[in-house]
Amino acid sequence: MISCSEFIWVYNELFKFLDESGGEAKVIEFWKGISDEFLGNLRAYIEAEGLKGMHRYWSHTLGEEGGRHTMTLYDDMFVIDMHDCPSAKLIHHAGRVEPYPKYCEHCRWLYPPLIEEYGYKVDYYILDCQKGRCRMTVRIPPGASTPNAAS
Amino acid sequence: MASVHKDFHGALSYGLQFVEDNYGREGLDDFLSRLAESVYLPLVDGIRARGLDALHEHLQTIFELEQGEFEMHTQDGVLTLRVHRCPAICHMKEHRYAVAEHFCEHTRIVNEAVCKAAGCRSSVEYDQDAGRCVQRFWKEAP
Repeated sequence: MISCSEFIWVYNELFKFLDESGGEAKVIEFWKGISDEFLGNLRAYIEAEGLKGMHRYWSHTLGEEGGRHTMTLYDDMFVIDMHDCPSAKLIHHAGRVEPYPKYCEHCRWLYPPLIEEYGYKVDYYILDCQKGRCRMTVRIPPGASTPNAAS
Repeated sequence: MASVHKDFHGALSYGLQFVEDNYGREGLDDFLSRLAESVYLPLVDGIRARGLDALHEHLQTIFELEQGEFEMHTQDGVLTLRVHRCPAICHMKEHRYAVAEHFCEHTRIVNEAVCKAAGCRSSVEYDQDAGRCVQRFWKEAP
């Protein structure tokens, strides 16, 4: 069994394999598939509580994964500031695998498109992949119909 | 004890199915076999240096970390791991994640690749639906 504790490295190797076999488009197809097929729990959190649900989801997942980050929840905005992503740090600094150059891009394809399906606007910036720094900001556009507006 | 994000099992399962759907069983075998040269190279080096003790420690560590139900023993030079409750299968079933059609094959392929690189042999018998397997490892005759 491949352990969860080894998954980050396996994930990196999978991205490399897909890129070598089918190009970057195949990697993106995989990321979109994960977003569509595998993030049902994030969808459930958003549908139930909107921005607060996102805060709950990432409190759970980032809590399990470790790393250093801050999350800020406003009435109309949710922000994750990742200062030290445990996943990116492992890939770039553990020396166990050759990093997939676009490793951090997976978050851009997994989360913003899914969240925007619910009427939110998402800005996602990779600040420094090797240092594991990124920022995701979710806003409620004026007049948008979102789960927040419904609750 | 370090925490683990068990949803990764579901993501891995999705990834294995994606590889098989796009590149067939041969692609799955190719992808997983390569892991012995990267992700599992420290384990391969450990087995080369210390024999099956290194593999025993590795398996003990991950199955304790994942809270699997298992037993392990070495007899007549054969390391046997009996998994009574696979943490990956159980987590995916509990959370209703799709389990890849040939999910447990990854154990066979990775074990064989690691053992080939480290100079030993392996076998696995599994019941994917039940989340049970028996894995065996032994050194190749010199």
